[in-house]
Amino acid sequence: MSSPAIKSSWWMPDIPKSAVLRRRMLWAYVFVAAPIIALLVFLAGPILFSGWVSLHRWDMLSPVGDMPWRGLQNYVFLLTRDSIFIKALGNTFLFAIGGVGANTILGLGFALLLNSRIRGRTVWRVLYFMPVITAPLALAVMFSFIFDRNYGIVNSVITALGLPRQPFLSGPNQALMTLIFIAIYQYVGYYIVIFLAGLQGIPQDYYDAAQVDGAGNWQEFRFITLPLLRPVMLFVVVTNTIGALQVFDLVFATTGGAPANSSMTVVLHMYNTAFKFSRMGRASAMAFILFAIIMLITVMQVRLLRDRSYQD
Amino acid sequence: MTKDEKSLLESAGSALKYLVLVGGAFLMVFPFVWMMIASLMTAGEIQMRPPVWLPAAPQFSNYSELARSIPIGRLYFNSLFTSGVIVLGVLLSSSLAGFAFAKYRFPGRELLFYLILATMMIPFFVTLIPVFFIVRQLGWINTYQGLVVPGLTSAYGIFLMRQFMVTVPDELIDAARIDGASEPMIYWRIVIPLVKPALATLGTFAFIGAWNNFLWPLLVLNSRELFTLPLGINSLRSLYADNTNLLMAGTAVAVLPMLLLFVLLQRYFIQGIALTGLKG
Repeated sequence: MSSPAIKSSWWMPDIPKSAVLRRRMLWAYVFVAAPIIALLVFLAGPILFSGWVSLHRWDMLSPVGDMPWRGLQNYVFLLTRDSIFIKALGNTFLFAIGGVGANTILGLGFALLLNSRIRGRTVWRVLYFMPVITAPLALAVMFSFIFDRNYGIVNSVITALGLPRQPFLSGPNQALMTLIFIAIYQYVGYYIVIFLAGLQGIPQDYYDAAQVDGAGNWQEFRFITLPLLRPVMLFVVVTNTIGALQVFDLVFATTGGAPANSSMTVVLHMYNTAFKFSRMGRASAMAFILFAIIMLITVMQVRLLRDRSYQD
Repeated sequence: MTKDEKSLLESAGSALKYLVLVGGAFLMVFPFVWMMIASLMTAGEIQMRPPVWLPAAPQFSNYSELARSIPIGRLYFNSLFTSGVIVLGVLLSSSLAGFAFAKYRFPGRELLFYLILATMMIPFFVTLIPVFFIVRQLGWINTYQGLVVPGLTSAYGIFLMRQFMVTVPDELIDAARIDGASEPMIYWRIVIPLVKPALATLGTFAFIGAWNNFLWPLLVLNSRELFTLPLGINSLRSLYADNTNLLMAGTAVAVLPMLLLFVLLQRYFIQGIALTGLKG
């Protein structure tokens, strides 16, 4: 036992009597001091301040004490009258649903392929993972060229096949779809790697037992693979949804939200509102609305994916 | 079905598997390959209709022209230096705090740990405006410290290190104390060596995050001497709006060394990422 002299309550142990133990405790404070201060200054403090700012009008230049009070007006304005924000919310949802949905299916499919008897598993994994570690900004630049209306290679192939030239990133009906495609490309390797690790963690015995009972491939997948993969799937879906709802780099460097805000996303609109138009209050309110939505969706996903595992 | 037919069906199935894998891999690799090919074309070739698939003669001079117009070495130094400092900061602060939370009892421990858990869920965009304001009040706009200091600690990192350090046996620590080891020495000599794999994983994450980060440097930095690689690429977008071949050369220069590093260390990268997925 390292600290027999300490009697603990659930939230706060008593201060130990012996000098040795007290010195040990002081070291603990030394260890946590700098990280905790940094977290207070750069995370906990800012989120409170951000909430405060969202209730005011502020351009960041006028003194913090003089911000005119706006109450919930920023929130009301955003949800009722800021058509770009509403558009951006819809786009961001579509972006997240499209990307995460497609990648969950694709990732699972490729992970199953790679988990079967296959040669060069490492090589495949590396190839599919390359975009995941590449800077989103670089991918944005590469794909802007690939999907270019005039000189892009995709349009070259399409027109060579005798089909009409497509606008892709510059088309109001295609920009968001193209961005979703790029996001699928970018992250599918991440899903594959994690699903594959999850598949490899399922004990072979289960499949052996199922085969003895005469289960087919589909039944094995349905009643062994899927249920046992559910915790991993929960992690991947939740973290990637959270990430996708915050997309910025990709949109900033491809369409910039254009044409006609058809590919505008929430964080990009927030960036413009704050740092182009100096409306810090409105931008902070935007951040809080998105934050609330992210938490809501996370809770829903956790419920959904957990509850179903109980039924199985 | 005869035996021959069955094995024929099986090999057809596995051929199909490889076909799908090859097709997917082609799509994955193509953008990178196309970037490299395009970076070696002339300005005329890149705008040809129907398209030119390969340059008549590879224009390596594109890269020397690129090197004349942007300070590639400087961009690399800035990216390496700032990412390196952030990785060291995250590793040090996360392991120290994680150690205290895992192996010490002190008044306020639970409360502080709840603080960590709560801040772990805050997305960066919620704190973006206040942190920018703080950095500006400190006079750190357009400095390395403005870029680096807000990223030196990670709530997630503290949480991760705590989870790993809880598994270090208390007996080991007590034995060291009996031998007269000080608390910092126990941290450095006993606990750190035991959690090296976790440190490697956390370090990899922190490095990729810092290396690829774009929004924060975009806000904090405005002079070109301090630009990191993503900012460099971003500035090339307007500089070479009409010279896509040079834009591709610049992107290739920024992207390929990191890809090479990844291929060499892929085992590390992928195991670490799979590990956090399974822990989650």
